[in-house]
Amino acid sequence: MSAPLDKPQVVSHSQKSLNYSLFDSKWIPCSAKFVCLGSSCRGTGLMQIYELQHGGIKLVKETEKTKPIKCGTFGASSLQQRHLATGDFDGNLHVWNLEAPDVPVYSVKAHKEIVNAVDGVGGLGIGDGAPEIVTGSRDGTVKVWDPRQKDTPVANMEPVEGETKRDCWTVAFGHAFNDQDRCVCAGYDNGDIKLFDLRNMSVRWEKNIKNGVCSVEFDRKDIQMNKLVATSLEGKFHVFDMRTEHPTKGFASVSEKAHKSTVWQVRHLPQNRDIFMTAGGAGNLHLWKYEYPAKRSEMDGDGEERGVAGTLNLLQNVTLSTQPISSLDWSPDKQGLCVCSSFDQCVRVLIVTKLNRVRSGWGAAVDGRTAPASLGCEQSLQSETPHQTSDQ
Amino acid sequence: MSLDTISSSPLHTQPASLTTHSVPVEHLDYKYIEKCSDLKYLEKILGVLRSGKEGIYPHLTEFCEKHVEKLDPRSRALRKENFPATSASFSKDEWDQITNELQTWENEIKINDVELNKQLFFCNDVNIPPVRGSNCSIQKVTYSGDKAYSKTRHLPRSYQDWDKFDVEKECAKIDETLTTNESAAIIDDSLLKIQSKIDTTGLTEQEKVVLANREKDKGNEAFRAGDYEEAVTYYTRSVYIMPMTTAYNNRAQAEIKLQRWYDVLSDCERVLQLEPHNTKALLRRATAYKQLENLQMAHDDINAVLRSEPNNMSAQRLLEEISKKINAHIHHKPNKGKKLLIQEVEDDDDDDDDGDEKDDMPCAGGQSAGENRQAAVRGGMGNAQKKAHSGGARGPTANKYKVKAEGEPAAVANRKNLANGNSTAQPANGRPDSPGEERTESTCASGALPPPLARLKNEGNQLFKNGQFGDALEKYTQAITGFTEAAIDSPEDLCILYSNRAACYLKDGNSSDCIADCSRALELQPFSLKPLLRRAMAYESLERYRKAYVDYKTALQIDSSIQAAHDSVNRITRLLIEQDGAEWRQKLPEIPAVPVSLRQHHTAATSSTHLHKENDTQEAARRAEARFTSLKTEGNELVKKGQYQEAVGKYSECLKLKSDECAIFTNRALCFIKLKRFAEAKQDCNSALNLESSNKKAFYRRALANKGLKDYEACSSDLQEVLRLDTSVQEAQQELDEVTALLKQQRATGSPSQPRRDITITEVEDDDEEGDAVKSSSDGEQKSTSQTINLQPSNAYEFGQALNAARSLNDTAACAQLLRTVPPDSLPQYVSTQLDGHTLSFIMKTLDTHLLASEPGVVYQLLDHLHTTERFSMVLMMLNPDERMQMTQLFEHLCSVDCEDFSQNDIKNLANKYI
Repeated sequence: MSAPLDKPQVVSHSQKSLNYSLFDSKWIPCSAKFVCLGSSCRGTGLMQIYELQHGGIKLVKETEKTKPIKCGTFGASSLQQRHLATGDFDGNLHVWNLEAPDVPVYSVKAHKEIVNAVDGVGGLGIGDGAPEIVTGSRDGTVKVWDPRQKDTPVANMEPVEGETKRDCWTVAFGHAFNDQDRCVCAGYDNGDIKLFDLRNMSVRWEKNIKNGVCSVEFDRKDIQMNKLVATSLEGKFHVFDMRTEHPTKGFASVSEKAHKSTVWQVRHLPQNRDIFMTAGGAGNLHLWKYEYPAKRSEMDGDGEERGVAGTLNLLQNVTLSTQPISSLDWSPDKQGLCVCSSFDQCVRVLIVTKLNRVRSGWGAAVDGRTAPASLGCEQSLQSETPHQTSDQ
Repeated sequence: MSLDTISSSPLHTQPASLTTHSVPVEHLDYKYIEKCSDLKYLEKILGVLRSGKEGIYPHLTEFCEKHVEKLDPRSRALRKENFPATSASFSKDEWDQITNELQTWENEIKINDVELNKQLFFCNDVNIPPVRGSNCSIQKVTYSGDKAYSKTRHLPRSYQDWDKFDVEKECAKIDETLTTNESAAIIDDSLLKIQSKIDTTGLTEQEKVVLANREKDKGNEAFRAGDYEEAVTYYTRSVYIMPMTTAYNNRAQAEIKLQRWYDVLSDCERVLQLEPHNTKALLRRATAYKQLENLQMAHDDINAVLRSEPNNMSAQRLLEEISKKINAHIHHKPNKGKKLLIQEVEDDDDDDDDGDEKDDMPCAGGQSAGENRQAAVRGGMGNAQKKAHSGGARGPTANKYKVKAEGEPAAVANRKNLANGNSTAQPANGRPDSPGEERTESTCASGALPPPLARLKNEGNQLFKNGQFGDALEKYTQAITGFTEAAIDSPEDLCILYSNRAACYLKDGNSSDCIADCSRALELQPFSLKPLLRRAMAYESLERYRKAYVDYKTALQIDSSIQAAHDSVNRITRLLIEQDGAEWRQKLPEIPAVPVSLRQHHTAATSSTHLHKENDTQEAARRAEARFTSLKTEGNELVKKGQYQEAVGKYSECLKLKSDECAIFTNRALCFIKLKRFAEAKQDCNSALNLESSNKKAFYRRALANKGLKDYEACSSDLQEVLRLDTSVQEAQQELDEVTALLKQQRATGSPSQPRRDITITEVEDDDEEGDAVKSSSDGEQKSTSQTINLQPSNAYEFGQALNAARSLNDTAACAQLLRTVPPDSLPQYVSTQLDGHTLSFIMKTLDTHLLASEPGVVYQLLDHLHTTERFSMVLMMLNPDERMQMTQLFEHLCSVDCEDFSQNDIKNLANKYI
C-alpha cells in the first residue's frame, strides 16, 4: 500500500481555536506570518497576526476595529510595504499598514452594504500595471479602486437602475499580463459570472452556472487569461479554459461535483497554476490537478476555433471539520503551506507534501495524455520542471 | 467544541439517495460483483455495502471497491473521506524531512522578513503606471446598459417585460454583443504584447529574486500547458530580471520544443558557463547538436554526462542514436561530399535568420558557431547560385559565404567543421563561447527582430525552401513593412530581409525588383556578399553585363574564391569583348573598392581552409584555436569574478594568437575601463572599431574611456554614435545625459578660460598616453599601428582608419599626406563618420602646420568642402575655445597668403561658416 503515499498528503501542521468568527485568513508575503480577519462576539472587527514558531502558531499582534472585517488581500501592495486591503460589513474599504494598524493608510466608503469579496493586483510583482483593488458587495456593484485615488473608484460596474440588485459574492482579477490589459471576474448569487474587461471598459463574457457563485479565481492573475475556476453553491465547480473563445459557444469548460455541499473557495497553488484546492461546506478540502488536453483548441465545422477543455484529477481530499471552510490561502513563499479558517472558529495551518512531484503522472494513463519522456534526473524542489528531452 | 475532537471524529454521510430496494440482496455477492460490468450499478452496490444496512461485510466491500477501481479508477464512489495526515502517517525520515524543511524555510523567511522591513522607506512609485482614467459617470452608463441586458438574459422575462419589449433596441443589443464577441476573438494576438523586459529599477535584490522565480514558474507552467512560445517569453523575462541557470536551462528546453536549435545552444552555453557540469544543459546541448548534425559535439557532450551520471537513461538513449548516425555518416562520406557542399551554400541564409530569431540574445560566438543546419531539408535559397556553383565549388569555398556576417574566426573554423558534419575528429575547442560579460548587456545590445517579424521571416524561409517563392515573397514583404513601421534600427536584419526577398524575385524571374531589393540591402550593409551576387545574377539575366561584371568583381574582392563568380566574370568578359571590342574596359562603371578589413577575414578563412586540407597544419591551427578559446573563456571568467588585471593578461595573450578578433578588444577595453586605465581602453576600442566600424560596444566603451579621460566631447560624440547605431541602448542615453550635463558644467565653470586650458592639457596627455600605450605594447603591435596608416585610401572606411591612426599617434605629417591624396570634393564623404571635435581640430592643425605654407590652394579647397560634411555644425559646437582659437588662426594665416585660387572675400565667406 505504498501507492497512496506517492500522491500529495495533507498534513495538519497546527491549529488554533479562536473566540471569534473567522471570515478570512491571508499569508503576509515574504514572511512566516498570516493575518486572520473576523468578527468578535461584540460585533466589532478583529485583525490578528499569527506567526509560525517552532511547529506551532503564535499570536503576535491583535487590533480591534469598529466593524467586522469580511475579507482582505495583499495583492495591490508592493512587497516592501505589504499593506493589507480589507472590506468590512459596513461597506468600507481600508488599507492598513500592519506595522501601524491603528489608522488606515487608505479608507473609503466603498459600498452601501457589506463588502463580500476583495482582490488586488499590481503589487507583489504579480501583474503588470497599476496597483488596483476590486471589491464586490451585496449592493450589487463591483468597484475597482486605486489606492492612490481618494474617494472615487477608477471603475464601477453596477446594474442599471430599477434592475434587481444581485448580491456579488466573489471577485477576482486576471489577465494582467501587461500595462493595459486587465480583467475582473465577478460571481453573483444568481449564478451569473461576468468578466469585465478593464481595458475596453466592457463586459467581455458572461455565463450563468445556475447556482450562486461562491468563489472565482484565475489560475494566474498576471498572465494572459488561461483558466478560470468558479465554484458554486450546490457543490459543483467549473473550470473554464479562457484561451479560446468560440463566437457562440464561449469558453470550453469542465465541471466536477466534488463536495456534497457548497464549495466555498477555490485557490490555485501559487507555484503551479494547474493545481488548486477547493474548500467545501462540509469542512473538507479537495486538491485538484487540471490536465490539459492534447490540443487546447480545434476547428469546428464553421471554421471557428473552439477551445477544448481538459480533465480534472483529484489528487487528495481531507476532512478537517464539520463546519464550512470559509477561507483558504496558500503561502506565496513556501510551496504546499496553507492556512484555512472555518466556521467552527478555528484556524489551521496545513502542509501539502509532494506537490512538486505532481505531474501529469497521477492517472496519466487514464486520461490518455502521454507523459513526456523524462530525463530521469530527479529535480529539486525549486523546480526545473520542464526536463524532458525532445526526441519524439 | 474542541477541534481535535472534530477532526478525529468520523463523519457519517449517509448515501440517502441509494435506496436498498433497487439492489436485491442476492446481488451482494462475490460472484455477482465479479461478473457485473455495469459501473453505475456496482457503485450502487458499493453504496449499499458501505451503508451497512444489509449488514457489514468488510471483505465484500473491499472486493467491490477493487472491482469498481478496475472498471474506472477515477470513479467518484471510490473517493473516501480522509483526514489530515499526522506524524503517524509517515515514516520517521519522511516526517523529519517535512518538519525540517519547514523549519529551515521558517528561519530563512524570517530573516528576509526583517530585511524587508528595514527597506520599508524606499518606495518605488516611479515604476507604477498612472491611475486608470477615472471617468466614473461614463463607465456607469456603458456598464449599466451591458449589465442590464445580461441580467435579463438568463432569466425568463416577466409579462410586464414583454410589454416593454422594444424590437429596435433588442436588435441593437444583439449587434452590440456581436461586436463584443469580435473584439474578444483576437485573443491570440495579445500574446505578443507580453513585454520581454521588465522595469526593475528601484527593486531590491530580494524582490528581484522573488520576481525572477515567479516569472520562471510562469514559464514552467506555460511549458507544461504546451505554450512553448509563451514559456520562452516568461523565461526571458526571468533571465532579464536575474540570470539564473534554471531559467536558462528551462528556456533551452522550451526552445528544443520550438526547434530553435541555435537558441538552445546559446542558452546551454550560458548554463555551462555558470555550472560547467550541468547535466541537463549538456544533454540539451547534445540534442541540439544532434539536430544540427554536429554529431561529434553531441557525442562529446553525452560522454561528459555519462561520466558524471553513468546511469542516465536518456543520455544512453541519445548516445545510441548518435553513434548510429555517426556510423551512417562515415559510410556515406565519400560519395556524399559534393552534395553536402551545395546544401551548404544554401545554408547561410538560414544561419542569418536563426541568429535573428533570437528574442533578446546578442549574436554571441556560441550561437554563430552553432549556426549550421540540418542539411537534410533543403529546397534552395539561391538555387541559381547552386547551379552556378555546381561546376567548381568545393566545400570550403561554399563555407566562406558565411564569414562576412560573423567576422569571428573562431566561429568560422567551427563552422568549417560543422560543414563537414561527418568529420569525426573535431576539436573540442571549436565549441562556441559567448563572452561572459556580453550577457549583461545582452538586452541593450540586441539588434534582433521582434518575434512577429522573426516569425514572418521564418515562414518566408520555410516557403522558400518549399519552392513557394510567391508566398515567401509576400511574407518577406510583410516583414519588411512591419520592420519599417516598427521603426527598428537594425540595418543588418533589414538587409537580410531585402536580400531574401531579392532571392524570391530572382526565382520568379523578376530581375528588376531583385535589383532594387539588392541595392537597398547594399545601402544598408555595403559589401554584403549575397545581395551583390544576386544583383549580379539579375543584371546578367537582364543582359546588363557591365553592371553584372562590376558586381561580380566586387563580390570577388570580398571573397576571391567564389568559383561561380569567376566563371560568370569570364563569361561576361567574353560577351563584353564581343560587344564593345578591345576597349570594353573603358566603358565599365567604376568598380568600388572593398575595405581591406572585409577582405582580410576571407583570406584568413581561405588560409584556414587550406590548412584544413593538410592534416599537420590543421592540427597546429586547432591547437592555437583551442588555446585561443580557452584563453578567451578564462578571460571572460576572470571578468565575471572582477579580476580585471588578470583578465587583461589573458586577453592580451589572446591577441597575440589572433589580433583580428573584435570581441577581445572590446572585452579588454572593458577591463581597462574597470581598472581605470582609460587611455589603453580607448586604444583597444579604436582597434576594435578598425576591425568593425559599427561596433556599438566599442563605441560605448570608448565613450566610457573618454569620460574617464574627462574628454566629454569625444565621449558625447561616441555616445551619439552608439545611439545612432541603436536607439534602444538606454545606458548610452543615460550616459549621454550625464555627459552633456558635465559638459555644460565644464563650460559654465570654465568661462574664465583657465579650466578650458586644463582640458586641452588633458587632451594632450591623453594623446601622449595613447602613444605610450602603443609603445609599451609589443613591438609588433607598434608596427601594425604604423602599418594601418594607409596613405592611399581608396574609400571612406580606409580613410577613416588612416585618419584615426594618424590622430592617435598625433602624426600631423601623416595626416597632411593623407589629406593631400584625398580629392577635396570627396573629403566630406570620407570624413563624415569620423568627424568629431578632435578630428576636426587635428585636421585644422595639420592644415595649419603642414599644408598651408606649401599648398594654400589645397587648404582652401579642403576647407571649402569640409564644412559640407554631415553633422558638421554639430561638431563645430563641440569645439572648445582653444580649438576655436586654432581655427581662427588658420583662417588668419590663410588670409595672409596670396594665391590665385581664392580671394580674400572667399576666405571671409568661408571663415563665417567655420567661426
